[in-house]
Amino acid sequence: MAKVILTRWLARQFTAGQIEHQVPGLTIRALARELEYRYPGIIKHLEDGVAVAIDGEIYQNAFLEKVEPNSEVAFMPPIEGG
Amino acid sequence: MRYVAPSTLEEASAFLVDANGNGRVLAGGTDLLVQLRAGMANPDTIVDVKHIDELMTIKEEADGIRIGAAVCGQAMGEHAGLNNTWPGLVEATELIGSTQVQGRASAGGNLCNASPAADSVPAMIAAGAMISVYGPDGHRELAVENFATAPGKTNLKEGELITSIKLPKPAEHSGDAYLRMTPRTEMDIAIVGLGVALTLDSEGTVTAARVGLGAVAPTAMLVKEAGDALVGSKLDDEALERAAEACRKACNPINDKRGTIEYRTKIAGVLLKRVAKIAAERAGS
Amino acid sequence: MAEKTYKWVGTRQPRPDGADKVTGRARFGADFDMPGQLVGKVLRSPHAHANIRSIDTSKAEALPGVKAVMTSADMPDMPDEMAPAGEVMVNLRDVTRNVMAREKALYDGHAVAAVAATTEAIARQALALIEVDYEVLPHVIDVDQAVAEGAPILHENLRTKNVDGAEDTLTNVAARIQFTKGDMDSGWSQADVVIEHAFTTKPVHQGYIEPHAAVASTTEDGQVQLWCSTQGQFNVRGYCAKLLGMETSQIRVTPSEIGGGFGGKTVVYGEPLAIKLSQKAGKPVKIVMTREEVFRGSGPTAAGAMDVKLGATKDGRIVAADLNIRMQAGAFPGAPVGPACMCSFACYDIDNINVVGFDVVSNRPKVAAYRAPGSPVAAWGVESAINMLAEKLGMDQLELRIKNAAREGTKTHYGPTFKDIGMAATLDAAKNSPHYQTPLKPGQGRGVAVGFWFNIGMDSSAACHVGEDGTVTLISGSPDIGGSRASLALMAAEELGVDYQKIRPIVADTASIGFNFLTGGSRVTFATGMAVVQAVREAIDELRARAAKLWEVDVEAVIWEDGCAKPAGSNVGDFEPLSLAEIAVNAGKTGGPINGHAQLNAQGAGPGFGAQIYDVSVDQDTGHVTVDRCTVVQDVGTAIHPDYVEGQLQGGVVQGIGWALNEEYIYNDKGQLENTGFLDYRMPVASDLPMIEPIIVEVPNPNHPYGVRGVGEVPIVPPMAAIGNAIAGATGIRMTDLPMSPPKLSAAIDAARVSEAADD
Repeated sequence: MAKVILTRWLARQFTAGQIEHQVPGLTIRALARELEYRYPGIIKHLEDGVAVAIDGEIYQNAFLEKVEPNSEVAFMPPIEGG
Repeated sequence: MRYVAPSTLEEASAFLVDANGNGRVLAGGTDLLVQLRAGMANPDTIVDVKHIDELMTIKEEADGIRIGAAVCGQAMGEHAGLNNTWPGLVEATELIGSTQVQGRASAGGNLCNASPAADSVPAMIAAGAMISVYGPDGHRELAVENFATAPGKTNLKEGELITSIKLPKPAEHSGDAYLRMTPRTEMDIAIVGLGVALTLDSEGTVTAARVGLGAVAPTAMLVKEAGDALVGSKLDDEALERAAEACRKACNPINDKRGTIEYRTKIAGVLLKRVAKIAAERAGS
Repeated sequence: MAEKTYKWVGTRQPRPDGADKVTGRARFGADFDMPGQLVGKVLRSPHAHANIRSIDTSKAEALPGVKAVMTSADMPDMPDEMAPAGEVMVNLRDVTRNVMAREKALYDGHAVAAVAATTEAIARQALALIEVDYEVLPHVIDVDQAVAEGAPILHENLRTKNVDGAEDTLTNVAARIQFTKGDMDSGWSQADVVIEHAFTTKPVHQGYIEPHAAVASTTEDGQVQLWCSTQGQFNVRGYCAKLLGMETSQIRVTPSEIGGGFGGKTVVYGEPLAIKLSQKAGKPVKIVMTREEVFRGSGPTAAGAMDVKLGATKDGRIVAADLNIRMQAGAFPGAPVGPACMCSFACYDIDNINVVGFDVVSNRPKVAAYRAPGSPVAAWGVESAINMLAEKLGMDQLELRIKNAAREGTKTHYGPTFKDIGMAATLDAAKNSPHYQTPLKPGQGRGVAVGFWFNIGMDSSAACHVGEDGTVTLISGSPDIGGSRASLALMAAEELGVDYQKIRPIVADTASIGFNFLTGGSRVTFATGMAVVQAVREAIDELRARAAKLWEVDVEAVIWEDGCAKPAGSNVGDFEPLSLAEIAVNAGKTGGPINGHAQLNAQGAGPGFGAQIYDVSVDQDTGHVTVDRCTVVQDVGTAIHPDYVEGQLQGGVVQGIGWALNEEYIYNDKGQLENTGFLDYRMPVASDLPMIEPIIVEVPNPNHPYGVRGVGEVPIVPPMAAIGNAIAGATGIRMTDLPMSPPKLSAAIDAARVSEAADD
């Protein structure tokens, strides 16, 4: 089970404020699908226009990235920069 | 738009008369070309005066130094006689623009642009410089402080142009200095510019002093009261404060993108004290 | 990670574009010309806020020499939703309105119409003939005034995102964002000392020397060629295609050399207008902004107004941190409030954090990215407050930061937990620097501040073409702003084992290489570098295969070493090494040209941390600040080309010094910008600066073949607060509003004198 951390905004919209979730899945896509099963409608906010930090490393447009069983997966706003 | 490059004063003046108010004199061009590009000036005739010998030479005369109106700042900076007698004026001139601009911009142009913040003008006022003008009515002379009448305006009449600026020969134990306040160290326009020229006696007492003040009123000006406050003193704190107060009183600035009324007024006083000390040091050495 | 030794990486080679640039041959945006080209000029609103009742272009169109006139009516309107354009999610309704005003002009300088004419003089004349009927509206410039009740509303359709019950309320607040960690009540209850203060910054322009410039040429069959100065030709293509309703394959964008961007050339202004004018006129059209247009019409960075509150125990452990920040987005939503909030406390290991940010519109040009967008604004408040805390605790400013530094295992307030990061190493290097060890001279003050940026990866493509003589063309699609051609070529030389001079790196147009996300976010040496290494490795595999064919052995029996194919062992056979050139000359016989290609979405960018030290002197009478000494310390992962790493560090500091001391937009009471040139928008000149000493810390990023993290963003984060801290040290006065210009500092010094006198 990966530890998924949602943004406060997503948590408010979809999970009654719960930010941390234990979610089974070996890729970001699998985690997103499982979260969609639990919280319908959330998936579009996990697949587009977000970045995700897997064990502290930031991935943008993550989709098929692998997740370890004990990984920490944090969804966060995308980063651009100058 | 017509470009002409006469080699005599008479021709130059005739071209300007011909242009019927729509002629502009081109010396270094560091103001005019910028105005052309920005669409702020649109003259019919541009009269390039750099081919008139008289306007391009620095001449040491018995009673002082005559600087041709189109002589560039760099030539002034390299002139030994000028450096020895009026180092403050040279410093002021060398503050104008970048190295590239220095090779073009002239003291005459700095006067004719009539910016209240022109760096060389307060130093010229302090030095007691006289301007020679040529026009349809022949030659005339006037003091630098009487030349500009408003921002961008001078009392040159139609067909007139500056030919030279005459700096008097300073009395013994004289010195001049110029400082300006700018947020940047270079490539900036004075928030306040202040020049002092003074003469000391053998005891170190000021016997004559002139203060030129720029960027704090519609035109650069002579602050007679400030000079008078220094005369008779050895630049003690009290005399300096009186002169500083005279400078602050003379200020009639506006709030604009370059500085506030409050700040400009305060700095006029600060600069007076600093500049007077430098001038006195030069006078004493 | 063991220290690696490299032959080329880490050396200081001449840059491939250097000769062209120092001799003036390099072609920047305005240097492109086409036969028959027309001059495009843009009419801009003189009003900060006005309804556009109508635009009459008939007189302009009738003027001889005018070949096309356009307004927003010539471009399709766009839906109010986020959509990708060149991989950036943008609201195209806003973008099309920023490029050319529709129902409203929203800032002084907002484009309202454009013309193409045979000469510049005619184009200017035509602009003067366009009649715009404006209904001038009240305007608002300041961010906190824009939030206040009764403020003029910019967009009737705007509602605050992420706030319940905001659906019916007209507002200038586009979004609210919040990050939290721990429990604030518990944090404050542990605090022995609390600091609470308000800070403000001003918008500052990126100040690139080269104004925006574009030449568009269209053909009757709908194909478009565009040459322009940009940080991302693919993003320009994406924007233009969307805004003009075209397909991306119809638009070919060639990036020119770029005279600075710093984030400001990641968006479009004149590019789609040049295309539309060219389509209408049937001729190429060139639009070059004047400096005045750059200031009035192109994006500065956002400013912020913020309240910072910090709590610490007596021994200097920060136990609670709170930030409320309102950021000014300009005329359309999109201030970098997310990054500002995320970066704010990222340098520290603090248990209880609450950060709230607001994205606020006002009547100023829409902001664009600027080095580490958002982070310097938050750092101004946070890093000033950290020093106030140090003063209150009686602790050394650097020791307090070391004690609370983020480390491996620190959980950030925005979610992720840090892995191996260089914050502590950076602070140690700062502490041990000759600068920090040197005592101050009388009258001087010393200030320290730290900064953070994520660094990013994203999409890159690269190709490696081996020529018949064994030289290599290295093709990427990343415009070279900071010396990236040199750094990419160094990595390729290292991989190939050939001389750096044998590699010619070029920046290709959108039709000649696969997609590349723009140059920004400190990504190119990291992400495009990864693509380059992969492309070169593919070429090396091909070279090995060709050698295997020549030797009639299996490819596994051939290794690549020192620029040559060699037998993997003595049992392979007795073969002399084959050089790159020897294999290349026989390429036709062994299977054709030898190339390598790679495309990837680079992941695993390593976060960057920096610390800076400033010594300043203050003229107590004029308020003029002189920066006497500056040391900039940063963890860059690996410095591929140390010269350009140092250049990035120094450049960021220079821009930060300007931001700190003098740069600001000056508006009159009509909301018109008054300082539209470099004379009165005071960026520092060389004589304003000390020698800026760089100290490069190298904690390699394990996710990159050469350990690159990224360098360009972090150096602009600490300067403002560090200089403010130094001024506080020199004068005892804490400045809280930027810039700390002579008039403001002088007034603060005088006020302090008055209050001191009153105390006596």
